[in-house]
Amino acid sequence: MFKTFAIAASVATIGFATIAEAQTPRRGGTFRYTAGYGSSFAGMDIHTSNRAQDEIWARAIHRTLYNWDSDANKPVPELVASSTVSPDGLVHTLKLRDDAFFHHGRKLSADDVIWTFNRIMDGSKSYPGARYVRVIKGAVDVEKGQAKEISGLRKIDDSTLEMTLTEKVDPAFSFMFFVTAIYPADEAAKESFATKPIGLGPFKFVEYVPGSRLVAERWEKFYKPGMPYADRVVISIMGEAAARDVAFRNKEIDASILGPVQYVAYQADPNLSKGMLEVAEVFTRHMGMNLSYKPFTDKRVRQAINHAIDTDLIIRRLVRNKAVRATSWLPTSSPAYDESLKPYAFDPEKAKKLLAEAGYPNGFEFEWTASPNESWGIPIAEAVIPMLERVGIKAKIKPVEATVLAENMRKGDFQAFLYSSQSGPDPLTALKCYHSATPVSACNYVGFKNAEVDKLLDDAAATDDAAKRLANLKKVNAIIQDEAPIWFFNYNKAVMAYQPWVHGLQANSTELAYQDYEKVWIDETSPVK
Amino acid sequence: MRFRANLVIGGALFATVVIAGLLAPWLAHTDPVLDADLMYAEEPPGSAYWFGTDAQGRDIYSRVLYGARISLTVGIVSQLINTVIGVCLGLSAGYWGGWWDDVVNGLTNLMLAIPSLVFALAIMAILSPGLTSLLIALGLTNWSFTCRLARAATLSLKSQGYVQAAKVLGYGDLRIMATQLLPNMLGPIIVIGTLGMGSAILAEAALSFLGLGIRPPFPSWGSMLSDARDQITTAPWISIFPGLAIFATVLGLNLLGDGLRDILDPQARSRRA
Amino acid sequence: MLSFLVRRVLQTIPIVLAVAFLIFVLFSVIPGTFASSLSDDGRSIMDPAVVERMTKELGLNDPVAVRFGRYVLQLAQLDLGTSFRTRQPVTQVLAERTGPTLQLCFAAMAFAIIIGVPLGFIAALKPGGMVDTISMVTAVSGLSVPKFWLGLILMYLFALKLGWLPSFGYGGDPRYLVLPAVALGVAPLALLARTTRAAVLEIMNADFVRTARSKGMSEGRVVRWHLARNALVIVLTTVGLQFGSVIGQAVVVEKLFSWPGLGSLLVDSVTLRDIPVVQGAILLIVLFFLFTNTIVDVLCALIDPRIKYS
Repeated sequence: MFKTFAIAASVATIGFATIAEAQTPRRGGTFRYTAGYGSSFAGMDIHTSNRAQDEIWARAIHRTLYNWDSDANKPVPELVASSTVSPDGLVHTLKLRDDAFFHHGRKLSADDVIWTFNRIMDGSKSYPGARYVRVIKGAVDVEKGQAKEISGLRKIDDSTLEMTLTEKVDPAFSFMFFVTAIYPADEAAKESFATKPIGLGPFKFVEYVPGSRLVAERWEKFYKPGMPYADRVVISIMGEAAARDVAFRNKEIDASILGPVQYVAYQADPNLSKGMLEVAEVFTRHMGMNLSYKPFTDKRVRQAINHAIDTDLIIRRLVRNKAVRATSWLPTSSPAYDESLKPYAFDPEKAKKLLAEAGYPNGFEFEWTASPNESWGIPIAEAVIPMLERVGIKAKIKPVEATVLAENMRKGDFQAFLYSSQSGPDPLTALKCYHSATPVSACNYVGFKNAEVDKLLDDAAATDDAAKRLANLKKVNAIIQDEAPIWFFNYNKAVMAYQPWVHGLQANSTELAYQDYEKVWIDETSPVK
Repeated sequence: MRFRANLVIGGALFATVVIAGLLAPWLAHTDPVLDADLMYAEEPPGSAYWFGTDAQGRDIYSRVLYGARISLTVGIVSQLINTVIGVCLGLSAGYWGGWWDDVVNGLTNLMLAIPSLVFALAIMAILSPGLTSLLIALGLTNWSFTCRLARAATLSLKSQGYVQAAKVLGYGDLRIMATQLLPNMLGPIIVIGTLGMGSAILAEAALSFLGLGIRPPFPSWGSMLSDARDQITTAPWISIFPGLAIFATVLGLNLLGDGLRDILDPQARSRRA
Repeated sequence: MLSFLVRRVLQTIPIVLAVAFLIFVLFSVIPGTFASSLSDDGRSIMDPAVVERMTKELGLNDPVAVRFGRYVLQLAQLDLGTSFRTRQPVTQVLAERTGPTLQLCFAAMAFAIIIGVPLGFIAALKPGGMVDTISMVTAVSGLSVPKFWLGLILMYLFALKLGWLPSFGYGGDPRYLVLPAVALGVAPLALLARTTRAAVLEIMNADFVRTARSKGMSEGRVVRWHLARNALVIVLTTVGLQFGSVIGQAVVVEKLFSWPGLGSLLVDSVTLRDIPVVQGAILLIVLFFLFTNTIVDVLCALIDPRIKYS
């Protein structure tokens, strides 16, 4: 009777965009999710891997001090219940939740946080999370082996922690990443932890079939009331977009990240188009130019390239509007995004003029290192090459694997490369990649140097005035546009397809595949009970 | 009669591909790399674009024609390398015997034990994707059968009268191998080579799928097929035509190989008698 | 018999050593490192200090000679090292993946044998006939399709259009196995059909069968006694040799069907430069091949006593 009513109700409300929110979440069911960025996980110790693929499973099992709130579009406290900051902005006193329980039943304590961060800084190991924990005072000493424990972390009582930072930053941006997930100090030291993870997350580990799937079931003592909604989460590892497409259409999976090809096809399909979630992510796709390589040393050449490429056409036809035209480095979702900035106009004549002024009236040749990625790799370069050819620039693709691309970029070993870089959520962190003090090996791959940018960035980091900081960052963003160290291609728009019985998915702009699984619920029309 | 049919169908298929490849510049409608017009991306097959266009707006018909050059190059060159290596090793091992024979035998067993696709995958990762790398990878990993065959043939031919006679006449070892032994084992070697060309073309496709094939500016069938796999439900023609081209070529080579085996392989001939 | 086995095992040792050496050399010059692979998804930035430490922790800064020495010492203790990525012993990583691959390869081989051998027999009964021509051309067609394309088409047809089988998955339900096994089994099927046909034809015309026939043995007994036995030897040998290439091709099929076997592990590990796992996986595949072929040799000898243990 109830079921009939529910169906009737949903039929009656069709046409209202807010249908998902209007219904009362159902408890139960299985959420069949997919991890599409490769064909296996690094293992069950999330501290060892910063790949997006691994964070997808970790979000079911683990929790971090802070978490990204997709609705508010900013990081919010997660395991932290409340916090106070000292006047100088360096000492944070964190009160931890007292209702968070690890999957083996023990309550979260300040010791777990301290143990976790000490582990990550272990100088004999190489946990990627060190990058974030290093912001705590004394962490570097542990990393160098000069201290056993991070001096900037002090336990006040079981649920209170004092954290002293080295600079005035919001710790939320550092401790929202799952490479800093909080482990249970007692269990994590055991060897079995590497295969049977225990966390604070909404789901309890059940099994992991390497290369195939991870299964987790509801954790009854999860701290958010009534959550998680689903009984189980099954995360299947499916790196092949074509296979995911078939499985989704065949209703074997509940949600799947789409590439540009499927984006258009699903949009055109009257049924599939009803279940699509879109979000502007914080990635900037671009062609980086080596600023110490001869023709690219000249700003006019770099601007010419930006004028020579019909970027809008590529976005419309090849990326199929699954992206937003890039104007400079910061994406549309960034708080410092500047709407007044106009993108480089497609103007081959101007490009030719600029090239002539720079001393290359007949163009030049360069080697373009690119990986096979469909959104920021060779297929894009293939569309660009004929456009550059028309202004006399001959680009030769140097095809490499993504790993080699990453290696070449880190070493500055390229003339030009095609890549996708994280450009958010924190605009200051994103723009710091263009600070001359940032080494090529970190993220200043093109080797950008600009005294004005350095000064603006330093001031932005030092100031307490949020408005001034924002103004500075906007200025930096504008200078980068003018200097054009890269071809500004696009800001990615991520798209996820989901089945009609799936509700509560979140439009996470830092990475759409990152979901808070506790909020997802499955209604009774799901084929899996 | 069946064997003739093999030969005729196989030969015709293969000849078509060879001619298509040779005449590509004249038969093609557009440049396979530079004529990309995004305004005409993913056009289905029609009078303007016989096989349709791909995601970058390039004419698939023209790309399939030029692709024949790449696929044939891959097939022929890699197989030539394999054959030369296999024949040299097999012949010399069979002829000289002794420690050299042991070494060659060991090498052959080694090559047989590592699946050639796995080996090629490793070599491609080391050399970075590209045509030359691919030729090396496929040319170095598939010679063990040729080698075994050449060695066995040499062993059986060595004791025959005319070889002994050549020795008595004072012919050098190399001359005997080249003039007396090699011509007498050419048949079966050609057969293996023909079949191997087919596997090389398929291996190129497999490596493309694994992200380690030939990369632009060359339009290779394998990479065309592999790049279009996401569009198999939405724009199937992008993968169907290169797929059919691979299928027809490899089928042609296999049939041709079977047919040739019948004519050239003495064992098979006696089998039929 | 025993001495034969011992000799075969001893013969594999130099091959295994040579393979170990070869893959070590190959992968010591591969471009790209494990640390770079951690940021190859274009979604994460690696901290330079961590990269440096990781390279040191994994021993990648040591000279090649030192690394090789360490590698050989480990091998001698049957230790394949530690995976860069999962930080587990490589043997453990491989163990998790071996079952699925063997399952898939055996299923593919079973499919190939069950269809391929009878097909070859039928074709050989009337060489040159209609049945012969059609079955052989069909078999050769199976050899001529790229595996991943075939897999995709199977997936599209049997999962999406007909809804008979799941398109992906692994575990208890044997239905998961069908599509990948068929995609993988088509090539050995074709070769087996062809070999069986040739073997049957050859034996039909061989002296001893003619003799048997002239002695007045019925056709049925001729087939049963000689044909079956002799053909079986040839088929078994083909199966043994094909096993290697099936494991090789499994790389493609496993990747397409998200099958958690050695093949997808190998591709993943090559992509991510998890070199110890790559080396271990290749060694294991080679061992499988050698093992299968030894078994095949023993079986052949048991079936046909005329075959000498050599």
